[in-house]
Amino acid sequence: MSEIRISGGRVYDPANGIDGEVRDVCLRDGRVVADVGPTARRIDARGMVVMPGGVDIHSHIAGPAVNAARRLSPERRTAEPPRPSALLRSGSGGIVPSTFATGYRYALLGYTTVVEAAAPPLAARHVLAELRDTPLIDKAFLILMGNNQVLFELIRRAGGRTSPQLHDAIAWWLASTGGYGVKLVNPGGVECFKQRNGNVRALDDQLDGYAITPRQILEAIAGAVDQLGLPHPVHIHAHNLGVAGNADVTLETMRTLTGRRAHFAHIQFHSYGGEPGGPLRSRAAELAEFLNGHEEITADVGQVMFGEAVAMTADAPVAAMLRELGADKWLSHDTEVETGCGIVPYAYRRSSYVHALQWAIGLELFLLCRNPWQLMLSTDHPNGASFLSYPKLIRLLMDRSYREAEAARANQRAIGRSALRDGLEREYTLGEIAIITRAAPARRLGLVDKGHLGAGADADVTIYDDLADREAMFALPRYVIKGGKVLVQDGELRAVEDGVLLSARAPFDERIGEVLESLWGERYTVSFNNYPVGDAALREPARVIEATGGG
Amino acid sequence: MAEARSGGSGPPQARAGGSEPPRAIICAGCALLCDDAAIVDADGAPALTPPCPLGTAWLAERAALTSKPAATVDGAPASVSAALARAAQLLREARRPLLCGFAQASVEDVRAALVLAERLRALLLLEVQRGPWPGTAAEALRGYASATLGEVRDRSQLIVIWREDPERTHPRLLERLGIGGPPPRLAPGRTLVVVDDRDTATAARAQLHLELPRERDLEALAILGLLARGRTPSASELVEPLRELHARVEAAGHVAFVHGAELTGGAGGQRRALALYELVRALARRLHAVTLALPISAGERGAREVLAWQTGYGTSVDFATGHPEPVLATRASAAGESADVVLAVEQADAYAAADAALIALSSVPPATDAAVWIRTAALGVQAAGTAHRLDGVPLTLRAPMGGDAASTAALLARLTEEAVA
Repeated sequence: MSEIRISGGRVYDPANGIDGEVRDVCLRDGRVVADVGPTARRIDARGMVVMPGGVDIHSHIAGPAVNAARRLSPERRTAEPPRPSALLRSGSGGIVPSTFATGYRYALLGYTTVVEAAAPPLAARHVLAELRDTPLIDKAFLILMGNNQVLFELIRRAGGRTSPQLHDAIAWWLASTGGYGVKLVNPGGVECFKQRNGNVRALDDQLDGYAITPRQILEAIAGAVDQLGLPHPVHIHAHNLGVAGNADVTLETMRTLTGRRAHFAHIQFHSYGGEPGGPLRSRAAELAEFLNGHEEITADVGQVMFGEAVAMTADAPVAAMLRELGADKWLSHDTEVETGCGIVPYAYRRSSYVHALQWAIGLELFLLCRNPWQLMLSTDHPNGASFLSYPKLIRLLMDRSYREAEAARANQRAIGRSALRDGLEREYTLGEIAIITRAAPARRLGLVDKGHLGAGADADVTIYDDLADREAMFALPRYVIKGGKVLVQDGELRAVEDGVLLSARAPFDERIGEVLESLWGERYTVSFNNYPVGDAALREPARVIEATGGG
Repeated sequence: MAEARSGGSGPPQARAGGSEPPRAIICAGCALLCDDAAIVDADGAPALTPPCPLGTAWLAERAALTSKPAATVDGAPASVSAALARAAQLLREARRPLLCGFAQASVEDVRAALVLAERLRALLLLEVQRGPWPGTAAEALRGYASATLGEVRDRSQLIVIWREDPERTHPRLLERLGIGGPPPRLAPGRTLVVVDDRDTATAARAQLHLELPRERDLEALAILGLLARGRTPSASELVEPLRELHARVEAAGHVAFVHGAELTGGAGGQRRALALYELVRALARRLHAVTLALPISAGERGAREVLAWQTGYGTSVDFATGHPEPVLATRASAAGESADVVLAVEQADAYAAADAALIALSSVPPATDAAVWIRTAALGVQAAGTAHRLDGVPLTLRAPMGGDAASTAALLARLTEEAVA
């Protein structure tokens, strides 16, 4: 029996209404419990801050696109390589670290659960293999379904609506891949791009050859996810990412899904005003206001931070756009039936009008959205910035004077076009930081055992020194405990273990297999029977979260 | 770590009269990894259906392996334990160990090899690095555009096969790309162009055969690149035939360039690869252009993927300093020359490092004398495991035939325990 008492720390457990109260947190055998015995290991957390382990709802850490990005920039990974030891494997760092380094760095940062936000189902074996080699953190992945030709056909057959067959197909796909949720990236747009470099501009564009519209794809699949009662709602990367004026289609998409659960990814990249081809403007205030009025909709920000990044997206038209803007390197990969991918190594410069405005828009969203349970922290790693920039971002949110000083260093024409010009007074509290970095992501993911420190929760705990410099505080936790085991102490990894794969499961009519197989052969070049991932070594150890069967 | 186990559904396929029903198999005879294949009996010998000479030869060779010794030490039959002990001793005493091969290795095998390489602080060369494979370095300089097989089959109106002969090297590729079959599902038609100065079987299938000398490949790609950018190339007898090709490319909404080591390997290969990628990039402004690379062996693509995700580099790496450092493609051969012990993993033709002791873990006996050879369960025949198709799609290969050998991954794990305990 393994017991730990964390005593004397200030606990932030917003899911249970605890906001800085000094109290003990007790752990036994991998779970939070009400009390432990006198022989429990004692961690003296006086003067420290105690939170649940971090939960990253949207990141890119595993799969063919991530791996291609690694190969694309070998020159960016030679500084500070991870050194192997008796405990640790070697690897390389940079913006897209190797798998072992990814797990170590997330854990050292205090994160215990990370979601890979865009996995092609055809490459699920690859995604699972990389996640297996990403130690320490619990992992989940969302499967890309917004440009799936088989689903298009099912939606078409149902007259552009959701249907029991669509429900069953989505459930089949999750079961076949080990995925956790459904991701829609530029629904219909990637298919247009693969045809002849086209794209979707509006929700009611007719998709050539499919007799359906992006709106129908959104409604049908969002409806199916809700009907299935999957733990996480449909996760949407909206159309026209990065394009001036895209706030229109983002708001239209939100309105289309009003009344249903939906999570919007990296909303910063979708909050732009102006005209296509013209200068960027901010419409963050409108997006924030919409979120403020619709609590069934959540989002993660996708904050841009100045410095290196990699545009890595299933939204291949976006990468093609960056290529045309003069990107040095460009990679594109079309995956049959399902999706695409575009990668462009990138850098955000504070002197650039566009980059500075993007940076400001992300902060506007954080500061104008009233309910932290609806707007979660992310940089869409590595698209907006590395996940290692989270501590700096937290400081920007908590420290107004620091934020203003940073804004003063950025392109002033851009800052002048944002609400930062007038100074936004809001400063996030530690309780709110705990919400946006663990409690809200866990809740939105439907992970009832994570993101909080109530009895029965997973014993995932991060303990920080309570430093005035919030960046330093969050950059180097004193302790990171996962499943009741101390993994990090005093900034060093003390133990390494595998972490668990989190998968979602919903029941489905097995006869969907016959329907899918009838649509398979003329589309895929992999046999239907060879597609599902049955390898236990890839899918275990796993925790399966059951769908609730109706939302 | 997945344990690829030997095992299967029965004894090797050697029944008379074709009485045994076909058994499904994913063929690892080349990097195409056809997964619609089955083992049938052909006059007492195993064969594949749909028919493929390369696949049948691959299967037949591996089905007959159980008659070979389990291991050899200095050419004499030995137990696996004795062979492992000798191999471990060689590796422990090595000044500069080298791991190489992976032609028929699974993802699980490569993962196990990387554990050993890291612990030994060894040099790890991918099979193709025996000669320069500058295509990798070119990718890292500018990137590339690619697609899976189905995208090319269903959308490409023009397929240009550049100096490769897949009818010989990947016999079912043209079939699987739909060449000679019905029109593409998502495009109005399909034309095959072959650029090659050889009268190959592939060239015989083409609607247009551009007979271009090998030494003019770079010039030709540069001319096409200029045409793609709307510029006028300097006078050359290549310009007119290439204008015709360019016109076909421009008329096609979707074009695929199929290429391999014949174009992007060898001296100057990196420049040719870059020229191809620049051409595709220029074309991508107006139409959808992709490339499809043709690695030869079943393990090649997967080995690169595992290397990339575990080390960050999809190339050969050197663990001498304790962490992986990339080995430049053009220096790979030179780097290997310093090895004193070579561990060849699933590579039939051993790396020829002068004066190095060779340890071979392979289902097929090594082509050269080895200090140690341990017979492994052949991937896709006696051992299950994951492999990546030439377009990156991962597949789980089964073990339809029984066998008595351990998997490569299991043997590497044992070797790691003994060599670096």
